[in-house]
Amino acid sequence: MPPDPLRGFILRALLWLPLCFAAWYGLAAIHAGVIGSLSRGAIDLFRPGLVTGLEQAGRELVFVTRILVHPAPGQSALVLPEVNPLLYTYGLAFFAALMLAARAKLWQLAVGVLLLLPFQVWGVVFDFLLQVGIRPGPEITVQAGLSAWQREAVALGYQLGNLVFPTVVPILLWGGFNRDFIAGLRRRA
Amino acid sequence: MTRFAVQFVVIVCLLFAAELTPPVQRALVIPWTEGLASLSAALVTVFDAQVIAASRVLQSTRNGFAVSIEAGCNGVEAALILIAAMLAFPAPWRHRLLGIAAGLIAVQSLNVVRVLSLFYLGQWNARAFEWAHLYLWQVLIMLDVLIVWLIWIRLLPPDRVEAADAA
Repeated sequence: MPPDPLRGFILRALLWLPLCFAAWYGLAAIHAGVIGSLSRGAIDLFRPGLVTGLEQAGRELVFVTRILVHPAPGQSALVLPEVNPLLYTYGLAFFAALMLAARAKLWQLAVGVLLLLPFQVWGVVFDFLLQVGIRPGPEITVQAGLSAWQREAVALGYQLGNLVFPTVVPILLWGGFNRDFIAGLRRRA
Repeated sequence: MTRFAVQFVVIVCLLFAAELTPPVQRALVIPWTEGLASLSAALVTVFDAQVIAASRVLQSTRNGFAVSIEAGCNGVEAALILIAAMLAFPAPWRHRLLGIAAGLIAVQSLNVVRVLSLFYLGQWNARAFEWAHLYLWQVLIMLDVLIVWLIWIRLLPPDRVEAADAA
């Protein structure tokens, strides 16, 4: 009896998952640097000059903005939103586990990793925009300069980047690279 | 596959947009989330009497630790993605509906395991809780969705698959 390809795929995925999670977490600081730079570039396109610097504390990203707050009379401080990029990049471990379980070629894995980048940047950018444009008080949101419809778009973009992209995009990419495997599961008359 | 991907994305967007509207939140999402908390509490109290559920919160009366089941933890998003995948894939409607019903049970069953595991993991170690909550369980739930979908594809009847393809 030939081995069941689906069962084999599931078992390999479960075996690869912890290894891929470990690799993803081990390389997360380097990955965060790349994502942070791309995110800063994206924010500059949307709001030139809003972000004046990018710092990295381990795996965390800290955006330096020109937004000023006045916590007490005579005092002023810059707003420094912190973003945890791991929230938007863990799909990389998922994608790698699925691809390795499907015995994908190395170039497919590499292309998939690159294709995931815009979605990871999306998550970080909308997290930042949420922190300066929606969550804080009017002193900060006014300086962020988002219109009413832009605030709605940021809320929706954040939901997509947080709840959908990290897990759905890896599956879509895996499906795109493994169309033959999926088609092979369908019984033919 | 391209057609499937486009249809899947469109259906996912529609379902998520509908999910975010206040009427759907009031009528479906909030009652479902509260029901999930109550079910989790009922299951836990079989072997641990020191647990109470109030609205979306599951709390230990032993140490005060509590978890609140929020969007992303109630299994609704995973369910919507599974529904979209089954609706977008060419298949007879009867099998779609059966697949959605069985798939929702599979996904929500694992989601109850997620809630309970996080509830006890949080009482044991905050860092392990954060890791499991933010990353690991998100992936496991979506892997469950993928596996259910792949098994469903394999269970589609061959003659009807051919007919659906031709349609």
